Amino acid sequence: MICGARQARPNFFRRLVARAQARELAAFVVPGPEAARVLGVDLEAVGLRISDTPRHASVLLLVGELPLGLKKAAAVAYAQMPRPRAILTIGAGDVSPLPEPDVAARPRQEEVATGVAELRRLFARGAFSPEAADFDVDAIRTQTEYVCPMHPEVVRREPGSCPVCGMDLVPREAAGGNDHDAMDHGGDGTHHESMDHGTHEHHDGDHSSQGHEGQDEAHSSHVDMDHGDRDEGHEGMDYGGHDQGGASHGEHDHMDHMGMEYASADEGDSQANPGGNGGSEHGAHGEPEGHDEHTGMRHGEHESHEHMDHNGYGGHDHGGHGHMDHGDMGFMSMVEMTEGLPRSSDGLQMEWVEGVPFGPLSPGLPGGLTLTLTLDGDTVARAEAKGVEGRPTAENLAGPVEELVDRLAQLDPLSPVAYRVLALRALESGAGVEPDESTAFARVGALERERAASHLGWLSIFGRLLGYSWLEDRAGGLQISLVRAANADEVARLWVEAGRLSRRVEKTPLLRRKLRGVGLLPEGAEPLGPVVRAGGVATDVRAGEEVYLTLGFEPVVRDGNDALSRLTVRLAEIEQSLDLIQKAGEMTVPEPVTNGEPLREGSATVETPRGAATLRLMPEEGAVGTIELDEPSARHLGLVGGLVEQRELGDALVGVASLDLSPWGMAR
Amino acid sequence: MSALLAVLMLLVGAYLVAVLEGWVSTGRLRPAGPITSGLALLGRESVVPRQPDRIFFEVAPPLLLVAALLAAAVLPLSPTLIFADLATGALFVNAALAYVMVAVVMAGWGPDGTYAMVGGFRFLGQLIAYSMLIVMPITAVAMRAESLFTTEVVESQAALPNAIYQPVGFVVFFVAAMAVAFLPPLDLPTAPGELAGGIMAEYTGWRLAVMRLARAVLVVTLAAAISVFYLGGWLGPVLPPWAWSAIKTLLVAAAMLLVGRYVPRLRETHVLEWGWKIGIPLALLNIFYVGVLLLVV
Amino acid sequence: MLQASFTGFFGLAAIWFAVVVFRTHSMVRSALALLFSQAAIGGMFLAMQTEFLGVLQIMMMATEMAIMAIFMVMYMMDPGGLGGMDMTHQKRASQVVGVLVALAALAVAFFTSWGPIASEVRPAQQVHDLGIEIMERSMLIFETAGVTILTAMIAATAIAIKRRGKE
Repeated sequence: MICGARQARPNFFRRLVARAQARELAAFVVPGPEAARVLGVDLEAVGLRISDTPRHASVLLLVGELPLGLKKAAAVAYAQMPRPRAILTIGAGDVSPLPEPDVAARPRQEEVATGVAELRRLFARGAFSPEAADFDVDAIRTQTEYVCPMHPEVVRREPGSCPVCGMDLVPREAAGGNDHDAMDHGGDGTHHESMDHGTHEHHDGDHSSQGHEGQDEAHSSHVDMDHGDRDEGHEGMDYGGHDQGGASHGEHDHMDHMGMEYASADEGDSQANPGGNGGSEHGAHGEPEGHDEHTGMRHGEHESHEHMDHNGYGGHDHGGHGHMDHGDMGFMSMVEMTEGLPRSSDGLQMEWVEGVPFGPLSPGLPGGLTLTLTLDGDTVARAEAKGVEGRPTAENLAGPVEELVDRLAQLDPLSPVAYRVLALRALESGAGVEPDESTAFARVGALERERAASHLGWLSIFGRLLGYSWLEDRAGGLQISLVRAANADEVARLWVEAGRLSRRVEKTPLLRRKLRGVGLLPEGAEPLGPVVRAGGVATDVRAGEEVYLTLGFEPVVRDGNDALSRLTVRLAEIEQSLDLIQKAGEMTVPEPVTNGEPLREGSATVETPRGAATLRLMPEEGAVGTIELDEPSARHLGLVGGLVEQRELGDALVGVASLDLSPWGMAR
Repeated sequence: MSALLAVLMLLVGAYLVAVLEGWVSTGRLRPAGPITSGLALLGRESVVPRQPDRIFFEVAPPLLLVAALLAAAVLPLSPTLIFADLATGALFVNAALAYVMVAVVMAGWGPDGTYAMVGGFRFLGQLIAYSMLIVMPITAVAMRAESLFTTEVVESQAALPNAIYQPVGFVVFFVAAMAVAFLPPLDLPTAPGELAGGIMAEYTGWRLAVMRLARAVLVVTLAAAISVFYLGGWLGPVLPPWAWSAIKTLLVAAAMLLVGRYVPRLRETHVLEWGWKIGIPLALLNIFYVGVLLLVV
Repeated sequence: MLQASFTGFFGLAAIWFAVVVFRTHSMVRSALALLFSQAAIGGMFLAMQTEFLGVLQIMMMATEMAIMAIFMVMYMMDPGGLGGMDMTHQKRASQVVGVLVALAALAVAFFTSWGPIASEVRPAQQVHDLGIEIMERSMLIFETAGVTILTAMIAATAIAIKRRGKE
């Protein structure tokens, strides 16, 4: 029996269906398909379709060691998957709070292939089982509270009527401290929305609500209790939140409902969220009909905007938007409701929908990145980006010196080699040692391979975001080939392919129009890495290193400072890196060179694929002591807000993606 | 009898389009793909969002299917193989396609979720862009045929298919058809990668199966419409008429599906801008051009 | 007989949906109910064998009502209908006017001589006749209407555009 079987007795028809399901496995990958590619595993080749949302997936695929925040998000995503569902892990250790994986494979292609075959067998046999168990964890539990639609500050634990206006209190879920990550399962807010907050999944076939521990009252709106047939109206997942050590959320945190909740946001309180979408911000804003809106998403509940407060995250402030307090329930036009809000760039003033989450498992953004947007119609009014919760930080690096290199390499699974080289160089600078030429060349090769692979991975995610499937597939395939390349000769072949890819991308019709002018950085921004080089500034750590200069390196610089120029910079850097590897001849990272002298203070800077990272060591008594680590993504994190303001949603996402943020490298 | 046969051929066409779509997106040809997918979907739980607008949530997938079927009902596979040969056939196609939009908006509003909502309303924006562009080329086609009967439209192309006679209209209609079926690069409502499935995201189980079926039928219907209006329907040497219809329809469907792979998604602003600033003038020019050809030449 | 019953059925459907328009609290439901009401009228046309008018009505109403749905949601406060807002205004006046107009319509229906009912209807001929009518006798009417609508569109667009330099 697979861990997420549907509760039913297997009969002939169900066995047939189970076999069909075994052939049609669709995987939802946590943190994202790029994680598998970085390990050299080709998921498409083993026959797994990658699904954008947990709703359309039947397998939850966990890749690599995940921090707690991502595991919780994965748990919520798992709860959102319709049963029968299974869990497959690749190179991941313990995955609680999720159930035991059905198949655990190590990150090698053959093992994954056999693992998937095994999974298919398990599915065919065990998709339906009378002993299916429910999946219930804290992460998806919520509690109900009752709030007045007109006065969001009135919150009670029991149903009743509002002391201020006498209206009946409306039920709503309250999250306990939510983890923003957890809320966003699936990464796309959508799941939230639909997720049924407040109820637990019930067994198929369990027609009564007895399966629910506790929160039965949460079933206040149990929409689809389709008893009678096995389909269960599952009101999805509750998100709930788990307590984050003391964050008391009183009544809010509906992180979960983000999306939806918006809508829910108070009807009474200026709701109608019209979210105009549709596009229109075009010069001729004349056409009002072009502005479709996001109507009040939740024609459902009344929750106030303030509730969108994510505790635990340093406060997402609801900006200038207090909710309108209507003394009377008289007719209020949009003009009155949006008084006081900054005017939107497309001229159409809409109610703000706050806290729409995109991530941490959003398909078009790097896995683990949580982007919380405040939408004004279809325009983004504000944005906030967060990295992976629970990831190791510089504080975790303290310890014996010998382990520093490995620990630093684990800091960012997207660019382990760069951090390894950084640690080695810092140690060497502290010991006053200079590596010899062959070591230096080998390091260059390794570093450049990672750079090219990282850029190809970025290209693949970017292609997915753009809806450019050919690019997604081709760049992903090249990345895997590069990760698996054994020596510099194979790299030479890949260099030719990368050149072809680059030329083909540049000739793609409509791509320039899609990207030009999108993702412009605000004034005074000081980015790093390819982002700064795309703005015409030739800042590259490598230009100051002798090794690179002997190989004939010159920084790649483009003008434009927008998504298009960042794309061209990275395409050119891919070719350049592959070329450098061929010249360097080797691609390994040899062991550190020491001379037995005691360590003194050392520092080093390395150009990681995303920008310059600096490490400063101040050793004490043979242990590492104080460490200062400057990461490029931490700096870029602050740029997100200015970059997306007043942009249309699609353009905002493209702009954020063009920065190539590493959610692992971002400060909390 | 022939009516039933027409429906059957339509479903076969939808099946083939589903196979084609699978082939285009994964690179593997799986002839039994749609059956396995359908079975698999039927066996999965059906999850309903917590507070949907129930009527819209339930009605949207069947309505999408019905709209596509109605549009297909007036398109001929051969001179005798047509479900209903209405005298206003060409106009009826457009009327039925308008309900595609209604269904998509319902699917966007119903589930009460941000992504679905954004998807639904983006489609409305797309509608503003394409709605004129669907009707005007049909007008020019009807002008040449001097009738709204779809069978007569095909017969009017005996000398020269409309794709050559009025190429501008052909291109405009082709693009507009892709917009109606929200195929990439005009897939703003579903936007995988941005909206994680958009309007389709909240549907699971059998409802999703109905949505996907409806989408496949819609693609077939539009491909059939293009082949009837512009490629001469069943006309062609050697092979029997229905075979020509089938071949042309499938070729058009394959073309529509392939284009999306190689072009990034259009920005909403561009869809609207180009639809109105470029598309409509071109469509008007097309009508004028056809008028001149008919009256003068 | 069949024809009369279909016409009656569609007529009743149109009325029922129209009532829903005002009884529901949700804006979007209201707009779509109006759509289906108009589509039912289109159905009546079809049942009365005026094929072109029926198809045209059904087609136009879908698009128009969707636009209306956008506007309703954009400009009004409670699109989801949770606040229980009353959709009707000026009840007294509208009741009086409604009754008067209904009586007037009935009077027109009963006391006009509509001419003989066509014994045989050929839809293709209808389409042809309609076309000739529009192009010959009623051309002035349609042209004026068309140009008026175009002017209204342009004027609305011009008003909606932000004035440069004034902001």
